[in-house]
Amino acid sequence: MGEKLLVTSSPHLKGPRTVRGIMLDVILALVPASIASVVLFGVRALVVIAASVISAVASEAIYEKAVKREVTVSDLSAVVTGLLLALTLPPGVRLYVPIVGSAFAIVIAKQIFGGLGTNFVNPALAARAFLMAAWPLQVSSKWIAPLAYDSVSGPTPLAALKSGRGVVPGIWDLLVGTRLGSLGETCIIALLLGAAYLIARDVIDWRLPAGFVGTVFLGAWIFGKSGAYFKGDGLTAVLTGGVILGAFFMATDYVTSPVTPKGRLYMGIGCGIITIIIRYWGIYPEGVTYAILFMNLVTPLIDRFVVPKYYGYAHDAAARRAKIGGR
Amino acid sequence: MKFISIILGGVLISNFVFIQYLGLCAFIGLSEQLETAVGMASAVIFVMTGASAVAAAFEQFILIPLNLQYLRTIAYILVIAAFVQLVEIFLKKTAPGLYKAMGIYLPLITTNCAVLGVALLNVAKSYNILYSTVNGIAGALGWSLAIIIFAGIRERWKLMQIPDVLKGFPLALISTGLMSLAFLGFSGLFQGILK
Amino acid sequence: MNGKRSLLHDFTKGFIEENATFRMVIGMCPTLAVTTSIVNGFWMGVAVIFVLTFSNVLVSALRKVTPDQIRIPIFVILIATPVVIVELMMKAFLPDMYRILGVFVPLIVVNCIIIARSEAFAYRNPVLNSLLDGLGIGMGYTINLMVIGGIREFLGTGKIVLFSLGSFPAKPLFDPMAVMLSSPGGFITLGLLMAVLNILIKRSEARKSAGQQVCHD
Repeated sequence: MGEKLLVTSSPHLKGPRTVRGIMLDVILALVPASIASVVLFGVRALVVIAASVISAVASEAIYEKAVKREVTVSDLSAVVTGLLLALTLPPGVRLYVPIVGSAFAIVIAKQIFGGLGTNFVNPALAARAFLMAAWPLQVSSKWIAPLAYDSVSGPTPLAALKSGRGVVPGIWDLLVGTRLGSLGETCIIALLLGAAYLIARDVIDWRLPAGFVGTVFLGAWIFGKSGAYFKGDGLTAVLTGGVILGAFFMATDYVTSPVTPKGRLYMGIGCGIITIIIRYWGIYPEGVTYAILFMNLVTPLIDRFVVPKYYGYAHDAAARRAKIGGR
Repeated sequence: MKFISIILGGVLISNFVFIQYLGLCAFIGLSEQLETAVGMASAVIFVMTGASAVAAAFEQFILIPLNLQYLRTIAYILVIAAFVQLVEIFLKKTAPGLYKAMGIYLPLITTNCAVLGVALLNVAKSYNILYSTVNGIAGALGWSLAIIIFAGIRERWKLMQIPDVLKGFPLALISTGLMSLAFLGFSGLFQGILK
Repeated sequence: MNGKRSLLHDFTKGFIEENATFRMVIGMCPTLAVTTSIVNGFWMGVAVIFVLTFSNVLVSALRKVTPDQIRIPIFVILIATPVVIVELMMKAFLPDMYRILGVFVPLIVVNCIIIARSEAFAYRNPVLNSLLDGLGIGMGYTINLMVIGGIREFLGTGKIVLFSLGSFPAKPLFDPMAVMLSSPGGFITLGLLMAVLNILIKRSEARKSAGQQVCHD
C-alpha cells in the first residue's frame, strides 16, 4: 500500500475522519426531519423510508457482489442515498417508486462508474428526476394531510404559489410542517437543526447553502409577484418546496460539488438562479432537483476555472500560448 | 423576442443533443478531452451557422422558385459539403493559426448529422433565412454546451476504475442519459412569454 | 466452395459479428430517435436496408471508375439517390410513418453506417458481395431497432403494438415508465443493452478459449 501512488478524485478526506463517520453525521442530521415526517404523516412515512433504504443497501450489495468487488455497504453511503431519496417523495407514494428509485440511484447513478466518489450527479436527485419522468403522478400527487393522515391530492404550497389556486400556509405552518409536501421538505425547523449540526461538525461548507438560499430569496423577492418587481415573498419561497432540503443536504454532496470555497458559492448561486427560472417560467412547480443536477454537470468546469489565486495566471497563460502554437 | 426563443430552444428547452438526438457520434467521439471538445465546438458553431444560412438561401432562391423541393436532401448535402470546403480554403489563407486549431475537425463536420439536421429542421419549421441562421446558432450552441459539459465530466473518468464491459460507449450513453435527465427541467421554459 | 462460403458470410456477418449498433457502434442518432416502438424501428430499418443495399451496389458497380481522391463526395451522391427515392415513397405510401420518423429519414444520407460500408466494403468488393453485405448489415440493424424499440415501448407504455396484429398484453402488468420513451430512457437503455451484450460476448469468448484448451490437451 505504501509503494503505489494512489491517485483518486474527490472526495478527499483530511484528518482522522472516515467516510462512515461523515455518513453517520449526515444520517444523524436527518433524524429530526425523519421523525417529523412520521409525526406529521404517520407510519406510512416510516414504511417509505424503510423501503428506500433497504432497496439502496440491497442494490449496492448485490451489484458489488456481481462485479466481484468488495461490498461497501458498511460505509453507510447507500443508507444516506436511500434516506435522502425517500425524503423527497410524497408520503402516500406506492412502494415500487422508492424501491426502483433507490436501485436506480445506487446502480446507475453511482456504482456503474466505480462506486463512491465516482459519480458525477447526485444519486438521490438523479433517481428523483428519473422517477418524476417515469411516474409523474406518483411523485406529484400522493400527499397525505399532516396530522390527519388522510390521503389528499390537493395542491402543495409550491403548486399553489405557481398556479395561483389553493391556499398558501402562513410562516408558522411552513416552519413546523403542518402542510402538504414531501416527507423531508415540510418541517423546516427539523431540517435546520440538522443543517446546523452539519455545519458545526464541519461536514458541509456554509457557502453553498448560503448562496443557494440567498439567491432564491432574492429571486423570489424580485420576480415573485406577477406584474410587479421587488414585491415578492422571498421568505415563503425559501420555506416551500425542496430549497432547504436541497441546499443543505443534496447540493453539498462532496463528490458532486466544487472543491474550492469560491466554487461552492458559485454553485449555490447557480442552483438558486436555475430554481427561480424553473419555478417562475418553467412548467414544473419545483426547480430544485433539476437545478442541482445541472450544477452537478458543470461542477468539473467550475473546478477547472475557479483556481485559488496562487495557482495563478501563469499556468493559464502558458496553456493558452501552447494552444496557439507558440506564437 | 423570437430570437431568444429560438436560441433558448436549441440550447436548453430542446437541446440538440440531449433532447433531439442530433450529432451524437461526434459528441461521444470527441468529448474525451476538454481541449478537443472546445475545438470541435467552435468549428461546429462556425459551420452550422453558415451552413444554415446558405441552405436556407438555397431553398428560398433556387429550390422553391424552380419547384425542386424533392431534391432538397441531395442539394443540401452538396451545399454543406461545398460550404465546408470553402471555409477550409478561406481559413487556410486568411487565418492559418485558426486553421491549424480547427483544421482537423472541419471535414468531420460534414458527417455530423446536426448540421444537415438543423438545415432540414429549418424547413420543417418554415423559417426564413434570418430565423434559419439563428436556429443554426442555437443548435450549435446547444451542441457545444453539451460536449463541453461532457468533456469536463469525462476528464474525471481517467482516475476511476470502470469495468471493462462498460468502458467506452455503454458508460458514455448511460451518462448522456443522466445528463438529459438534468435538461428535462428546462422543458416548456418561458412557454407563456415566448409564443 | 470457398466463394460460396464467403458470400454467405458476407450476408450473415451483419447480424452479430459486425452488428452496426452494438459492435461497430455507428449511426447512433436515428437508433435512439426512432426506437420508441417496434413498428417505428421496423420501418426505419426497412428504409436503411433499401438505401444501404442500393448504395452498396452502386458504389461497388462504379468502383473501378471512381477516382480515389474524390470518392467520398461521389459516395455521398450515390447514397443520396436512394435516400430521395425512399423519402418520396414513404411520403406517398406511409405518410404517418414519414411524419413520425421526421428528419431522420433524409438524415439517412449522412448515417455513418452507410458511408462506412461504402468506404470499407463496397468500394473494394464485387457487386454481389456488396449487395449481400448491405442486406445483412441492414437487416441486422433492423433487428437492433426492433429490439431496442420493443424494450422501450414495453417499459414505457406497458405493451407492444405489433402492426395490425394488435397490442400485447391487453392489460398492463405494471405501471408503465413514461421516461423510457423520452431521451434519458433511450440513452440509458441503449447503454445498458450494450453492456449486457458485452458481458454475453465475454462469456462466450471465455467458454470458447476454455474449450480450445481442452481440445489441445
